[in-house]
Order: sequence, then structure tokens, then C-alpha cells
Amino acid sequence: MTSESHVGSVLSSKSIKIIAESIGISGLADEAASFLAEDITYRLKLIVQEAEKLRQHNKRLKLTCTDFDQALQMKNVEPVYGHTNKDGYIPFRHASGGGHEIFFTEEKEVDLHAVVGDPLPKIPSDVTLKAHWLAIDGVQPALPENPPPYTKDLQKQEIFDTNLKVTANRAAKASHIEGNKHKHYHKHKEAVMLKNLATHELSVEQQFYYKEITESCVGPDEQKRSEALQSLQFDPGLHQMLPRFVAFASEGVKINAVQNNLALLIYLMRMVKSLLDNQTIYLDKYLHDLLPTVMTCVVSRQLCLRPDMDNHWALRDFAARLVAQICRNYSNNTNNIQARVTKKFSKAIQTENAALATQYGALAGLGELGPEVIKSCLLPYICILGERMKGVHEGTALNSVDKIAVEHIKRQLLKYLPPVLKSFHNSTETVDEFNVAYGYLGPLLYSMFSQKEKSLSSTTSSVHPLTTSRSSLQLTQRPPQIVIQQPSTPVPLLSSPFLNPSPSITPLNSRPLSSLPSTPTGVSGQKFVIVSQARPSTPITPQTPSTPLVKLVTTQQPSLSTNNSTGPPKIVVIQGAPKAEDNSGNRTLLSGSTTVQQSGNNISGNDTL
Amino acid sequence: MSTNLSDGPTEQDEPAVAKYDKQTLFAVLQFLQKHNLKETEQLLKQEAKVNDDDLRDENDKKAEVSQALAAVYKSDDDPSLYEDLYKDLKTFIDSCLDVHKVELSTILYPIFVHMYLELVYNNHEWNAAEFYAKFWQDQDEYYHEDLSRLACVRKKEHMNGNQLLESFKTSKFVIRMSRDSYTHLKRHFQEKRLSPLLNIIQDHLFIDVFDGVPRTQQQIQATYGGILGEAEKDVNKAKVFYGLLKEPDVNITLDEEEEAQEGDEKPKKKKSKKDPSLMKKSKNDPNAPPVTRIPLPELKDQDFRERAIALRDAKKRVKLDSNHLPSVCFYTFLNSYQGVTSVDVSDDTSLLAAGFSDGNVRVWSLTPNRLREMKDPEDLDNIDKEADDVMERIFDDKTASDNKLLIGHKGAVFAVSFSPDRAYLLSSSDDGTIRLWSLLIWTNLVCYKGHNFPVWDVKFSSHGYYFASAGHDRTARVWATDHYQPVRIFAGHLSDVDCCQFHPNSNYVATGSSDKTVRLWDMLNGSCVRVMTGHKNTVHCLQFSPDGRYLAGGGADRLVLVWDLASGAVVAVLKGHTNIVCCLCFSRDGTMLASGGLDDSIRLWDMQKIFSEQDTETDTSIPSNVTINDSPSLLLATFFTKTTTVMALHFTRRNLLIGCGPFISTS
Repeated sequence: MTSESHVGSVLSSKSIKIIAESIGISGLADEAASFLAEDITYRLKLIVQEAEKLRQHNKRLKLTCTDFDQALQMKNVEPVYGHTNKDGYIPFRHASGGGHEIFFTEEKEVDLHAVVGDPLPKIPSDVTLKAHWLAIDGVQPALPENPPPYTKDLQKQEIFDTNLKVTANRAAKASHIEGNKHKHYHKHKEAVMLKNLATHELSVEQQFYYKEITESCVGPDEQKRSEALQSLQFDPGLHQMLPRFVAFASEGVKINAVQNNLALLIYLMRMVKSLLDNQTIYLDKYLHDLLPTVMTCVVSRQLCLRPDMDNHWALRDFAARLVAQICRNYSNNTNNIQARVTKKFSKAIQTENAALATQYGALAGLGELGPEVIKSCLLPYICILGERMKGVHEGTALNSVDKIAVEHIKRQLLKYLPPVLKSFHNSTETVDEFNVAYGYLGPLLYSMFSQKEKSLSSTTSSVHPLTTSRSSLQLTQRPPQIVIQQPSTPVPLLSSPFLNPSPSITPLNSRPLSSLPSTPTGVSGQKFVIVSQARPSTPITPQTPSTPLVKLVTTQQPSLSTNNSTGPPKIVVIQGAPKAEDNSGNRTLLSGSTTVQQSGNNISGNDTL
Repeated sequence: MSTNLSDGPTEQDEPAVAKYDKQTLFAVLQFLQKHNLKETEQLLKQEAKVNDDDLRDENDKKAEVSQALAAVYKSDDDPSLYEDLYKDLKTFIDSCLDVHKVELSTILYPIFVHMYLELVYNNHEWNAAEFYAKFWQDQDEYYHEDLSRLACVRKKEHMNGNQLLESFKTSKFVIRMSRDSYTHLKRHFQEKRLSPLLNIIQDHLFIDVFDGVPRTQQQIQATYGGILGEAEKDVNKAKVFYGLLKEPDVNITLDEEEEAQEGDEKPKKKKSKKDPSLMKKSKNDPNAPPVTRIPLPELKDQDFRERAIALRDAKKRVKLDSNHLPSVCFYTFLNSYQGVTSVDVSDDTSLLAAGFSDGNVRVWSLTPNRLREMKDPEDLDNIDKEADDVMERIFDDKTASDNKLLIGHKGAVFAVSFSPDRAYLLSSSDDGTIRLWSLLIWTNLVCYKGHNFPVWDVKFSSHGYYFASAGHDRTARVWATDHYQPVRIFAGHLSDVDCCQFHPNSNYVATGSSDKTVRLWDMLNGSCVRVMTGHKNTVHCLQFSPDGRYLAGGGADRLVLVWDLASGAVVAVLKGHTNIVCCLCFSRDGTMLASGGLDDSIRLWDMQKIFSEQDTETDTSIPSNVTINDSPSLLLATFFTKTTTVMALHFTRRNLLIGCGPFISTS
């Protein structure tokens, strides 16, 4: 406040002249104007000072027009009426007569019939009084009416100063001891600032919560999972357990990417998404773990056991959106996340011998980052990509996996490129020009482009969907379904609505899976523990569940549709009863929008705490 | 209720009546002159036998006074000299020993202010602006707000009628300093013969010299910040009877019924009625005022009953200390679009009143008992007055509701206060009135007019009958409910009086003001017995400790200060709040202080520690002997609310903390 008033907040004599002209006094002398300006500035400041008193007594944080009006009244000046008019700042008409001066606004004629006929507006809710426990014996209970125990700022502070927590703990203990010998209290001053080791201890409840959440996130029960994800997304008190959750996700991805366990990867990504969506946690210090984890799911060569059939594309899309979300929320000049991510992706596109799946992922990743990135990092390499696709398409080694990949890449290009092309090609350009610019993909792009042109000219909307940050939300509105192929079940192969059935995807091939592009470990008979407690750097209290949560076992059931000798992996939750997995054939994985709102935060009336 | 207090002032006023009349007459004559009503003027003059000379004299006198006031700054010195002089003084102070430096530097601010004003007064506008720009940042941060007000004044014309400047002009800035430092300063001035500086010091400064060691930075910081510096030593010399009044014996045994209501109370407790800790008060306290010092209303049967209940409740009180923090129950106002401006909770925590910025007052019941209206007079006649449950019978059950609306004020209600017997409610408003409401018939009884400007605060005395009000007109007033004129007017604050509070023994009233001082006034003779400085901005709330010895204040400077009433010295400075502190409450046993404010938090402070660490043996008349506790460990706990400002705090008789405030939706 003080600094503001020292900056030249003075009415200029010019504005005085303009004001004078507006009320019909023209040709105000310079001297008069500057005198008036100074005097009016002084009077205004006095009134603002009075208004400030009123603000304080009204116990408000903001100064309002009514404060100013009341301040004028306190100075025995008639306040200015009408500026609270919701129709905007209509110039007031001024009339005087009979010793009174009044200001009024011109009023429109109102059709009485319309007024009478209109339904009555809803009466605003009345003031209500609501009681809750702010603290019980000095401890704040975690209620929706109370603020989250750890604010984001505090979490941030703690990163830079580990002493914060330690001193807080110690102060509590010290004050206890000090009570007896308070006469010497001045000798107790902290002498040296030591950087202390902050211990991370989880209470038993928190450990239990962690166990429940992680189990539900990767377990078989879809309802439990959505509840767990919701808890991760909205719970304000996760701060303490955050390192564990992040470690769980990153370790899980590391292992399952190697194991090509698509389902679990998707579960883990959904978990990451919930964490990213939680407004109350400060994730910055875990990005080094999270980002590689998510990127793995975008560009890994292989994410599922049978790339020709499983829909790992949706996982890549989903993860690409997560990467974009991280870039949007956390990229800044110091960490340069976006630049680094873009570099990685475009490198993947440029590499000639990268797997097509990888290139697909990189494409999705770049596409989600917006038109600017597409333009500068993707378009220049379209030719290289085109050559590769051409090679696959016309190549002798007829590899169905690659063919599917090419189809997907095409679709992806169709999704991201047209709006960008639109911005710097005009409709007069011909196929040939496109051919020159984009090589093999030229004709395809041209057809896309011209289609886009047509549709645009009909709708005339120039805003393309990628520039809006809502693009990532589309996921939640359109829940894509992913099908896990479980050959042991008699469910016929379904393709998700995400994939338009095209001839190249139909399950034609019956090649044994063992000949697929190699996975490092053998598929058969695998038995693997997903995650126990990782991160040994933090001391773990003994109660933490260190038992394996999910196991992959092989079953020896006769397969129906394929004749491969290796049994398909099955997900079994150890802690729970090993239920029959009969419904696992068709499971919605990336279930969408969180429709259930957090319950309990609705207090009566319109306000909610 | 009978008292002779209210009759006191009128008797004294009688000789002054004639003079008062004459003044009114002059005022009327002036009005007639102004509006050119010559005939009436002549007639009035004839009738009142006033001749023109008298009138002229009166006018001249007024003009003289205002001239004399303004001429204080007349000076013929070279304007460019000021800068050098100030700089010179600064280098001198910087070159002093560290011991004196801190004390001497306090002189810089008043000198800066008066130099600036002298420059402005003598039309050296440009020099003034430059002088200000050069040195304003050197001043302590807590002066910056006053300085920005000062900076508004750029022309001689502005100096008339400015509240702040009037204070600077008419009163002297008080600086307390040890004799050593003072001799240092004196020698410097004598050597250099700096006449303009000497003039300023002589005209506008009052240097209060004490014998002793110079004060430390911390000690000076704790008491500085007032518009006019510190309190003089002499003003705080009067003895204050801060002890509690002797409580009348409550020898009423509560009804069986009420005991039963409480459930299976252990029979042991009944016997231990004479709990020593609670009976201590009945001993004679040497610091307590005589019971008859201020006439208080006689206690009725109902009051005795009330006290007995209170006493029983007090026995179940939870003991609080740094290891046993209280529970906090928070009452949140939802949908308060009109803006809650004040909240009060009755002493027994059964009622809650809130004032709104649209002028309404609402009362809620916090117990399952709903609020009922008294029956009509005709129906009341039919009631058997000898019945045991007559107090039940007089109410009309048909009117029961959870809350009642009281409409009357036409401006924001800045304060509400329950009477101790819960029969009345007071509210003060922006419209300049104080209203007394009956909580039996739920209607307005009296409208007290006196403050012509917004009334910022109103408080009932803990014994009922009297109440104090504080307003924008820079006065605090004490009223008796049955008089529509105030029985005392306390004038002395240099700016708005923002809050007031009755001492638990009802003999004193404390007021806090925008001039950053807190004053304690004696009800008996209306004199100011303590001036307590230390706040750096407007004081918004005051609270006496339950034993009556200490006073806590909180304000816009985000500080909570605790003073010892015996000496008027600051005992503790509690820093932690990040916005205006607007309510304070001591726990019932006085071991803890809760403070709440606009920063959406409630903070608990360890009073036990402050009081036990306070050195009572030292001679507090020497300011450098006073130890001030500002250790951060005094903060016991902080409870944040969810964007809900804390407007009122209240410890129940059993030491449960109640907080109230409106939820402000952020969207």
C-alpha cells in the first residue's frame, strides 16, 4: 500500500480538462487545471483513506465501491449513485432543482406483461450457520470443512528447506522441556543452522491406505479402482505418501514395460493421471521419476505381448496426453521440460531403424504438444517417415505388425496435421506441391488437407481443437475401451470403438507369438512381482506392506483361437483371493470422466466449504 | 436499577449552562447571517441583548486561534538548508556509540515530519517533494503508512483540516531517552548552533529523559509506532485498581431438576462445592477497587441463579496449558452475500448474534432451545405468577424458531454485544446510532444517538447496565441503558476510536484507536489513567485477562500485544498473523490467548509462559528495565480455516474454543 502511494498517483491536468469538457466547461486555463488536479488528488486520497477504515471495519479484504460511498457520507458529501448498476458505466444524467442535486440513469420502458409473465427468479439461499470441529484437542481433523493439512506452498517450501519440518517438530518438544528453566530462555537461541535429515515416517493408517490404494489401482475390481483413482485425484492429504506412490508407478512401469504387460501399464498410467490431477500436491520434486515413466509408455518399442492385436496404441495416446499435461503444468525456464521432451520425440521420429510403434508414440507425443511443436519438429521429418512407411507398405517382408503400425501412424497424422497444414498452405496448392514437400505422404496429406478445407469453409470456424488446452480432457469425455486379448476366454475379438475396424487389423495372422520381435525375457512360465516398496533411500517403518501385490502366472488352459504353446499371462492379486478371471476378456481400462463428485463437501445451501 | 453515577455529570455541568447557551446563540446568529436573514437576526439580537461587538469578538477569537495554530510552521529559513541539516543530524547519529545510536535515531522521524511540514507551509513545494523523496525510505517501516498520508499534503492549503496534521501541530511528539543519550544530543546541538533544528525540537518534540541504561532496539521497537511517539512517563503513574471485585456469595443451591438434567453427576462433586481454586477470588485483593467505587446494579434472584450455573460449569472446566490444547468448534456463516461484519457469542454460549452490512442483526440459538417471543400482555395477565415455571410460561411456543431477525439499522452493523443476562442485545452501526434490542420480545427498545458518525464498537459491561461505545468522532462514550445521553465521554484519542472493552471489574474502559495507542479510562472521573503504545497501526480488538491484570490488543499491524496494567508496559509482542487481527479471547483460566483475523487462521498463544517469565521485581518506571517477550515459541498452535475469516472467538465456561466467521467463496 505504501509503495503504491509513493508512485506518482496523481491526476494529470489533462484529465481534469477532459472531465471539465464533459460537463460543459471548455477552455479551462492550464493553471486552473493543474491546481484543480492537485487539489482533487489530495481530496481523493483523503477519501480513500477513510474508505480503507471502512473496509477494515467491514472485515473485508477488498475495498469496494460501497466503502467509498460511505466514506463520502462520513465527510458529509452526497455519494455518487449508480456505479453499481450492472449495465455498466452509463453516464449519469444530472439534474438539479428545488435545492437538491440528483444523479439518475435513463431508464428503459419495461413491458409489464413480460415482467408479470416471467417465472419468478430463484430466491437466494438464506444465511445459515454451520458448525464443525476446527480442532480436537489441538489437532485439526481431516474434514472437508477444514483446509488440507499441507498446502502446496508449504510443500514447496519444504523442498528448499528440510529444516522446516525438523524445527517444527523440535520446537514442539523444546517448548515442553523449556517450561521448567525459563529464566535462562535467552541462552537457548539456536546457535548453528544445521541441515537436518528429514525422516519420512508414515503412520499405520497411511500405510494401510497406501496398501489399499495400490492394490485397488492394479487389482481386478474396476469399481474399487475407480474409487482408488478418485481418492488419488481429490484427497488433499496425500503429501506424505507421494514419494511412495511415485515410486510405485515408476517401478511398476519399469518392470511391466519389460514384461509387456499392457493392462498393468494402463492401470499405472491412470494412477499417474490421478496424481497429476490432484490440485493439492506439489509434484515438482518427483518429475524426474514421473516423466521417464510416462515417456516409456509413449515410445517403448513394445508394450504388449502381441502387438498385432492388442491395443497398445490407446495407451500410447493416453500417455502422450499425460506428457503434454506435465509439460503444460510444470515446464519452466529452469527445467525446460518441454524442450527436452520435444527433442526426445523428434529424435525418435528421425531415427531410421526405430520401431514403428516408437515412431507412432513420438508422433502422438509431439501432436499433443500443440501446433507450434508439430510445425517445427514434426513436419520437417514427414518425408523420412513417409519413406519408412513406403518401405513397409511396398516391402517384401510382409510384416503384419508393421502394417498395422503404418495404418495407425496414418490415422495419427490425419488427426494432428490438417489443422497445422491449414495454417500455412492455401487451398490453391496442388497435389504435386504436396508431393514435393512431403514425399510419399504427399497425396495422403493433400487429401486430408483439402477435406479439411471443405469442412472448414462450411463451418467457418478457424479455431482448431489443438490450440485449446482442453484437448487432453477429451480423453475423459470419450472413454476409449481397450480390449485385452485373453485367448482362454471364448469372447470373440472385439476392437475398441477407438479403432475403426479396418481390414488390416482383423486377426488374420496365426503366427506363433514366440517369433515376435524379441522381448528380453521368456514369456512362458513367467512369475513376476510387480512392486514392493522401492526407494530404499527413505527409512521404511516395519509395517509397510512389502509383500508382492500382483503376480503374473501362467495358466495351462486350452487356447481356442490361437495355437500358441505359451499360456497367456493372467493377473492375480495375491492378497485377495485368487478369483477366477472370467470377466477379464473385456474390460474397460481407460474409464473416463469422474462423474462421482467427492461426497461430503456439500454443506447446506449454495456455498460449499 | 438505581445509580447516582449518571446524575454526577449533570450537576457539575450546571454552572456551564449559561456559557453553553451563549455559544448556541452565536451559532444561530452565524447561521442567520450566512443565509441573509437579516430581520430575524436583528430581532434575535435585540431579544438576547447581544451587540455586534460581542459577536465580532467571538469571531476574532476563533480566527486568532486558527492562525496561531497554523503559524507554528512559519519560518524564514532557506529551504535548501533543510536537506543538509537532516543529513547532518543523520551522520551525527550514525557516528554515535551503538548504545546511543538506537535511541537517538528515534528522533529522526519526528524531525523529518516537521521539516517536511515546514517546507510545505512556507510554499517550498518542490523542495518538500524532493526532501520527502530522499529520506522517506530511511524511516522505520511502520511509519510508512503515516508517511504516505503525509505525502498527500503538498500544498499549504491542504494543511487546514487534515486530521493527521492537526495532531502533529497541536501536540508534541514524545520521545523517551536515557540521560546519557540526551546529553549527547544536547552537546551536538550546542556545538553546531543549528537553529531550525532546535526550533523544531523545542516546538514539536517532548523529550522525556529517564535515568538508566539506554534501551535496546527491541525495547524501542515494542513501544514505538504511535502517531505521536510514546506515552509520557507521567501519564501512566496513576494507580489502577486492576483486581477483581469481591464476588457476592452464591448461596443458592440449584434445583434438583437442573442437577438431574446434567445426568449422573458424581455425588462427590456436589460436596466439593467450595472448590478452593474458584473461591480464591472472595479473598480481599489489595488491587481490587472498593465494591462501591462504581455503582453497580443490584443482583436479582435470576442473577444469583445464573452465577451458580456458571460456577458449576466452571468446575468442569478443562485445564489448558502448552501440552493440553483446546478443541475448537467453528461456526461458519454460509450464503452470507450481504457480508457479515460483526459477531458476538453470549457468555454462556447459548446465543450467537451477527451483524450484517445491510443493517440487519440476526440472533441464533446455539443450544437445542429455540428462540421464543414473550406472550402478549393480555395473555401474560392470565399466567399464574406464583408458578414455579413462570419463566417458561411467559413464552409463546408458536413463535419458536432457530434464529430471529432484528431490523432497524440503515447502515452496516459494526458491533453487537449481549448483555450478561441475555435479555438485551446492543448493536452499533454505520448510521451513527446504537440500538438496544430486547431478546424477550425481539424488538428495538432504545436508539441511542450521540455519535454522529459511524460507531465502530459497542460493548456491554460484564455487570450489565453500563455499556461503552467507540466511534469515528474520536470519542468513546459510556452509557447506562436507562439514559439516552452518555454518562461519560472519553475524549483524547487523536483519531478514530476503533474498539473498546470493559475491565472485568467494570471500573475501567480500555479503548484502541487509529492513532495506534490504547488508553485506559477511569469510569469514576473520566480521566485517562494509562496510555499504552506499541501498535504500529489501527487497534481493532482488546481483551482483558480474566484476572484483570493484563490487557491484550490486536490490530491492523498483524501484531498481538500484551500490556501489564500495573505499569502500562508492554509485556509481550506476539508475531504470526499475516493480516488484520480482529478478535481475541483469553481462556477462562487465563493460561491461553486465542487470536483470529482476516488471514483465516486462529492462533493460540502461551500466556502462562509470558506471565511466569515476567519479572515483577524490577522497577518498571525505567523503560530500559522492561523485558519484552517476543519468542516465537509462544505460539502454541495455528489452525487455518477454509477461506473463512475469523470474526469472533469465545471460550466457553468449560474452555472449549468457539470461532465464528463467514465463508468467503473464492470463485
